[in-house]
Parts: sequence; structure tokens; C-alpha cells
Amino acid sequence: MYELTGEGKRYLKHGLPEKRLIELIKERNGISMKDASGVLGNEFSIALQWCKKYKCIEVSHGNLILIEDKIRGIDEQTESMKDLAAGKELPEDVLQILIQRKLAEKKGEGIVERAERFAGKEIINLNTDIIKTGVWKKTRLKPYNVEAAGKTLHIGKRQPYNRFLQEARRKLVEMGFQEMTGPTIETEFWNFDALFQPQNHPSRDWTQTYSLKSTKEGSLPEKSIVERVKAAHENGGNTGSTGWQYKWDPRKAAQLMPRAHGTAVSARTMANKPDIPGKYFAILRCYRPDVIDATHGSEFNQTEGIVIDESLNFRALLGLLKEFAIEFAGTEKIKFMPDYYPFTEPSVQLSAKHPQLGWVEFGGAGIFREELTKPLGIDVPVIAWGLGIDRLAMFKLGINDIRDMFSQNLDWLRKQVIV
Amino acid sequence: MPKIDVSQKDMCSLIGRKLTGEQLFDELLYAKSELDDVNGDNLKIDIKDTNRPDLWSVEGLAREIRARYKPGMPKYTIKKSGASVIVDSSVSGVRPYTVCMIAKGLKINAVIMSQLLQLQEKISGTFGANRKEVAIGVYDLDKIKFPVTFRALKPRDIKFVPLEHKNKMSADEILERHQKGKEYGHLLKGKNAYPIFVDSQGEILSMPPIINSDHSGKVTESTKDVFIECSGFSMKFLNTALNVMAAALHERGCALFSVDIVYGKKILATPDLSPKRFRVRSDYIGKVSGLSLPPKEIISLLEKAMYEAKINGKYIDLSYPAYRSDIMHERDVVEDILISYGFNKIEPAAPKLPTKGSLTRKQVLLDSLAYAMLGAGFQEILSYTLTSPDNLYAKMNTNGNAIEIEKPTSANWSVFRTWLLPGMMEFLSRNQHIEYPHNIFEIGNCILNANTETRSRDVQKLAAAVSASVVNYETISSALDAMLRNLGISYKLKACSHPSFIEGRTAEVIIGKDIAGYIGEIHPQVLNNWGLEKPVVAFEISLEEIFGMLGR
Repeated sequence: MYELTGEGKRYLKHGLPEKRLIELIKERNGISMKDASGVLGNEFSIALQWCKKYKCIEVSHGNLILIEDKIRGIDEQTESMKDLAAGKELPEDVLQILIQRKLAEKKGEGIVERAERFAGKEIINLNTDIIKTGVWKKTRLKPYNVEAAGKTLHIGKRQPYNRFLQEARRKLVEMGFQEMTGPTIETEFWNFDALFQPQNHPSRDWTQTYSLKSTKEGSLPEKSIVERVKAAHENGGNTGSTGWQYKWDPRKAAQLMPRAHGTAVSARTMANKPDIPGKYFAILRCYRPDVIDATHGSEFNQTEGIVIDESLNFRALLGLLKEFAIEFAGTEKIKFMPDYYPFTEPSVQLSAKHPQLGWVEFGGAGIFREELTKPLGIDVPVIAWGLGIDRLAMFKLGINDIRDMFSQNLDWLRKQVIV
Repeated sequence: MPKIDVSQKDMCSLIGRKLTGEQLFDELLYAKSELDDVNGDNLKIDIKDTNRPDLWSVEGLAREIRARYKPGMPKYTIKKSGASVIVDSSVSGVRPYTVCMIAKGLKINAVIMSQLLQLQEKISGTFGANRKEVAIGVYDLDKIKFPVTFRALKPRDIKFVPLEHKNKMSADEILERHQKGKEYGHLLKGKNAYPIFVDSQGEILSMPPIINSDHSGKVTESTKDVFIECSGFSMKFLNTALNVMAAALHERGCALFSVDIVYGKKILATPDLSPKRFRVRSDYIGKVSGLSLPPKEIISLLEKAMYEAKINGKYIDLSYPAYRSDIMHERDVVEDILISYGFNKIEPAAPKLPTKGSLTRKQVLLDSLAYAMLGAGFQEILSYTLTSPDNLYAKMNTNGNAIEIEKPTSANWSVFRTWLLPGMMEFLSRNQHIEYPHNIFEIGNCILNANTETRSRDVQKLAAAVSASVVNYETISSALDAMLRNLGISYKLKACSHPSFIEGRTAEVIIGKDIAGYIGEIHPQVLNNWGLEKPVVAFEISLEEIFGMLGR
């Protein structure tokens, strides 16, 4: 048999807090949260919680607005409190709500009586009654098998390759590099022409880079840049070069393509009044028509950037590469080899002796050609660098197939450790 | 990057020194080349410099390596042959230029034959853009009666026996039926007239850039003297190609002879292997390299790189071999000096610059978003931005307009994603045997059509999905709420229809004034399309509005 608690009796007399809040808003034709709280005191938060549950009021700019005033739940609870006070028996579901709200309790059974039932017994779960009344002193708490491992809990984790890239970004920022960005779809102008790659260069063949099917042509940047790039290609312009000696075609330069290398973004950065001295980096998705296998993807990330300053030269370039080897491959054992990029001269390849992997080709770099920097408005040397960090990522993640960097295997993702 | 096969024995005999594989490996690095594979005597070499066709042969690499032991610029003597090639104005619209040469005293064997073919193939293939810019023909000199004429004729007026065939074929038959015709025919198709080389007896030598005749265009091991022509569109390209061929034949001990090319009243004797000249400021070398090299050392380093160098006041005056077409700027010379010096002898000196590193604001915000999702118990996934129209739209019960790639390597990688949910569905469909619930999210770039400079726009989006035996709208709406609330972003949900979601269980997510995305229970038809057997609830929002709000 159940009866109303003290709180239940009070609510029966004055009305449920949610009912009183509704009446208050009705009476005042809307009321601020602050004022309502002032009137209802401690009961305001209870009232608000129930009203939100009934979706009968809305909060707007700190004011309470009534949407509906006839709430069945409120009437039901009020009626059942009356019934209980009159000694009637209640349906189980309604009774449970009142018990949960601590508006009803077992007749003659207060907290002490409830707790005392456990006295002298071995118990599994502690509860509020037992703790509050001190009855726990008269109980034995059953020991558990504390040596069993807990049930597997899958926590939210970052994708491991993404986490590796975040770490790489952090390192580069620590080394003083600012992050740069650029569009995924590029014009050939930024991907090739601004980088002094001639329009008939083999790397501009469709077998080497993608083009787009639907929209083929984009826009070229401001005329002065286009004119200077054109001159550099055709006869060197004012760059001290002979140029490539051919007729440069602006239509070809306006063709759209998915970015084939991050250097396109470096070109945009240089044309956009960069800091001098300046250090920039980007980790960007690039696209090439490689047939997809364990070592090739149509889509991959490139980590690269530029350093701009009057003081730069080839020794500085080698010094920078050495810093990268120490920072990323954890080694000072490095070798430099001649290399070729159409946009840098001199160019160099970096091999680093990774403690576990042995010698790995770890990066390519060079000093941008003047035919490239001058038309973009830069009159000081610019180092361009790229790092092959995916190889290190694969090593760190223990994978041999580059496709696994974008793993679709939830089990594998769940098993990855986060240190 | 050109790749060539060479014989180690042949290479060493050209260098004039016995070198082990390991020594060759080191030496090749100086020629910007890498020994890729060794199989007995056979070496596979990758040549990195796409602007140095003179290195794309065993003859060229051997010459470059030999100069490290015997410095100096190679000298070439070219005698006049007396032979001439008349260029008829009819070729101007189809293949306007040619340059030619004669080489005598070829001591051909199987190795030399395959190497010369390989060089011809690399020059016309890689350097000549698959014969478009440069096509090369090699002929048995004894079979040709000079003068030769380079002219264009209507296809139906051209008939000859193509190489390795027995019967005469017409030009169009060659384009349709001959293997080389099928391969390179697109370079001529549609033209009114096709170019041919024809000798004074009316005997056709070849129809460039397709095929030689079987009569004179066949070189065998008994051939001693050869006539070589290069045809194309740029004299600069053609001269480089011919000079590279001439220098390689010189390595093989041939005597070189010039041919007079007659362009109307202008007569040009080719090949012209007289050295090219260039001038470099001495202080520029120090400025770019960061080394202070004495002038004498610079001269000897240049000689190792096959230049002839003389100090002239503040300048260094240079001569260099005519087969090189890559020297455009003083920088190119500085690199050669540095390569001669040896990169690994240089003490690195890292630049010390007072710069401050930073991430883009978006990158920082993306991290905060990710942390909110991790806190809500979601596993981050990462997928490709290239996908298929089928995944992107058909399987999602919807349609749309994605940016499409021309000639994709596979239909699975043919369009750029415009939203992330298809990637979520694909991921879920591949993990149905893995313990549920699956709570996943991805933050990623989507590429949309837009009226911008690149006719496109990169938009960062966030999608999350939950799949389990029992999931409902509240499962995902509370995740969305948790994320946005913890970022301090207010939002509204407004009931709507979306073909990927169940009617009556879908809402627009409104952030600020914009519809940022959608939330709801995935439509059972979509689940069927992906072969999914458990219900999925998901949301996807564009982050642009959030960037705007948090960026302020």
C-alpha cells in the first residue's frame, strides 16, 4: 500500500510545479526565465524540465512562451495524487511515475524502514537509503571477481592515418610553417604554367594527369600575372632565361583538372603576397590516373611547402632537408642525390636512414626557378620541398598497402592504439 | 620518367672502364639516373631528367659518366655529304619541318641495334610526345638516290610497301590495317594530304610519323651507312632530337655527315653540332650554391660536366655540347657545378628564419568538431573523395550533379563526392560481421559545382551514422545535439522530406539562416541497395555556416 510523501502532499495542495508555471505564464501573458524563477523558487527547474518534456513551452531570448496549456500528463498526475490521498489503488504505471518523482512511497515505510530490510544481510548493490541511513554498517558487501577484465567498450577514436597527419601538421607548425590551402579543382595555369612546365611537356599528357569531363575551362588570374607567365614560357621575359621558345596558349592554361600536386597551392601562395621571410606548408589530396594497387592510388596526400627569404641558397636547402629527416624520420643519417623537377633548379632528392626501415627516399626539393618566382612577383629565392611521409605513416600503422590508410575495416580501426 | 634497358658490358665498354654494379649505381646518380633493377648483365635504369633526352640512352649515360674520369667537352667533326633534302611547301600544313643526317661506318650487332631502336623510341615517344612533335626515321643509305623530297600528297596518291610487309598498300590502308597505322594514324587522320619522303627515283622512303617503307627503311645487321631524318613542328625540338641521335652514333664510332635541307631559297646544313654558348656571372654561382669556390675549381667542375669554361672578368664564358637543350638560365649551370662538386660534400646549413607557425583557422575548428564527436563515442573514418555516381546517388535513392573525371582509371573513381553519407553507408556495408553498435563519423572535403574561377567549390562536411539492432531518430538527434551544443552553436530541426531518409523521420538541420544538412532514419530501400540488414540513423551537415560563426 502506498501513500503521498510530504512533497506529494504539498503539490496536491498547491498544484504541481509545472502546472503552476503554466498558470504563471498564462497569467502574465509570457514571463522571463528570471521572473518565473523568482516566483517558483526551487521548484522552477523541476517545472521547466517537465514542461520541456511535454513540449508545452518554448524558450526564446530568455522568455518563456506558452504553446499549449492543456496537458494530459499533468491532469493525470494531479488526479492520481488525489486518488492516492483518498486511499484508492493506482494503476502500476502511474504509481511508478509518482514513486520516481518521490511524490509517493510505501505506506508506513520511510527511508529508514526501507534500509533496515538489508541489515544483517550480504548485499550486492549499495543504494542511497543504505548509504544515507548508515545501515551499511550492518551489512556485508559481497566481494566481486575484481580480476576479470571489463566488458569491451569501444571508445570514439580518430582515424589513425588522420591522426598521423595531424601530428605531422603539429610538427610543421612547431618548425615555424604556416598552413596554406587551395582548391581541389585547379586550372592547368596553377598546376603547370605558373610552375614553368611547358605546355608540350610530357607530364601534361592525359596519361599523367586527369582532366574533367563536363566543365573543361576555368578562368585565368589577373592579366599582369598571365602576361608575365606567358613571357617566361615564350622567351624568358625578364627572368634572365631563354624560356621554352614556343607559343604559349592561354586556352590550354585555362583547362580544369584535379590538382596533381601540392605545388599548385605553393604557386597560389607566392602570387598572393606571402610573408618574406616566410615558411609555408600544406597536406593536400592530389589526383593522378594511376591504376590502383598496393603502392599506387588515384588519390593520395602530398605534404609540401615553400620557404621564402633573401638569404636562401643550396646549403640552406640541404640544411632544411636535414631538419626534416631529424624531425620526421628520427635520423641524422642522410644522403642527397641529384634529382629533376621542371620547376626547381638545382633539385635534390633526400634519402634518410630510418632506424627500422633502412634507407628510404624521403623527400624531394629544390630552389624554384627564377622563371617561376619572378612572374609571380617574388624576387628572392624560394625553396620548394616535398616530404614522403606516407611511407612513415604506413610503417607506424603497420600496414603494407596504401589503401589501408583509408581503411574500411572497423575491427582494425577499433584495435588501433592511440599513442 | 624515361626507363631504359642496357647491357652492363656494353655500358662499361662505352665508358672505357670496368665498373661494378655498385660503382655504376653511384655514377648514375650524377646523371640523375637510378639503377632500378639488375638482372645478370641487363640493367634497368630510370632517368629522372625529362628535359635531358641526351641522357636517355646507354651512349648518353656512358658519355656523361666517362667525363667524370676524362673531363672536357666532346668534339664532333661533321663532313659535308653532298646529299640534299628538298622541303616542298605542301608539307607546311601537315608536318612543316625536317632535319636530316648521314652516319657511316656503323658496326652493328644485336646489342647496338636494340640500343639504337630504344633511343629512337624514347626520343620520338617521350621527348616527341608519341611522334606528334618528333618522328624519327632511320634508313639504309645505299638504297636511296638523292636528292630526297619531303612533300605532302593526297592519301590516294600514296602507295608503297610498308616495313615488314610484302605488298603495296595505300596510305589509308596503312592507317587502317598496319599496326603502326592504327597506333599513330590519329596524327594524320582528317588531313587533306599526308607527308612522305620520296627519293629522286620516285621511291617512297616513308610516311612520317607512321611508317618507313620496306625498301629503304629497313636497317639490318649488315647495314653500314644510314640516313636519318626527324620531322615535326618545331625546329628546336627537331635539332635537339637529331643532335642526340648524332652524338649517340658518334659514341658508336660512326663518321657523321651533314645533309643540306632546302627550304625554298634557304639552305640549312644539319646536324649542326657546333658547341652552344652561355655566360654566367661568377658571383651568382656563390649566391645560389652558398659555397665559396675558387674560380679554378669552378672551371674544373664545369669540365667534369663537359663544359668548356673561361673566366672573363666577372663572368664565366661557357661552351657546351649541342645536344643539350636544357640550359635556359644561369641556374642550370649552377646545378651542373653542384652535381660535379658532389651534393654530399656540402655542409648543410639550415636557414634560421623568424617565422611563426600556424594552422588554418578551419583546421583548428575541424579538430574541435572531431573532439566533440569522439566525446559522443563515435569512431572517425576516412574515405576517398573519388567515388562512383552509383554510390553517390543511385544507391542513395537520389540524384545529383557531381564533377566528373575524363577517362577515369575505373568507374569506381570517376566522380568527386558531393556528400559524405554514401561513404558512411559503404563503410557500414563492409562491416556487418563486426560487433554492433557501429558509431562512425567523417569530416571531409566535398567538391561541388560552383560559379568560381575553377567552376567548383570545396566544402567541408561532417557526417555521422549509427547502426545497431535497435536505433531510432533520438539516437542520432542526441548526438547532433551533443556536438552542436558543446560547440555553442544553436540550431533548429525542421521536418522535411529527403529520398534517402524515411518520410516523417527526417529533418533539415538549420544553422543560422541556412539549411546546413539533414538528419533522420535511412530509408529501408537505401538499406536494401547497400545490402544493409540493420537500421541506420545518420546526419550530415555542411560546416561552412559553423566556420562563419566560430571564425568570428
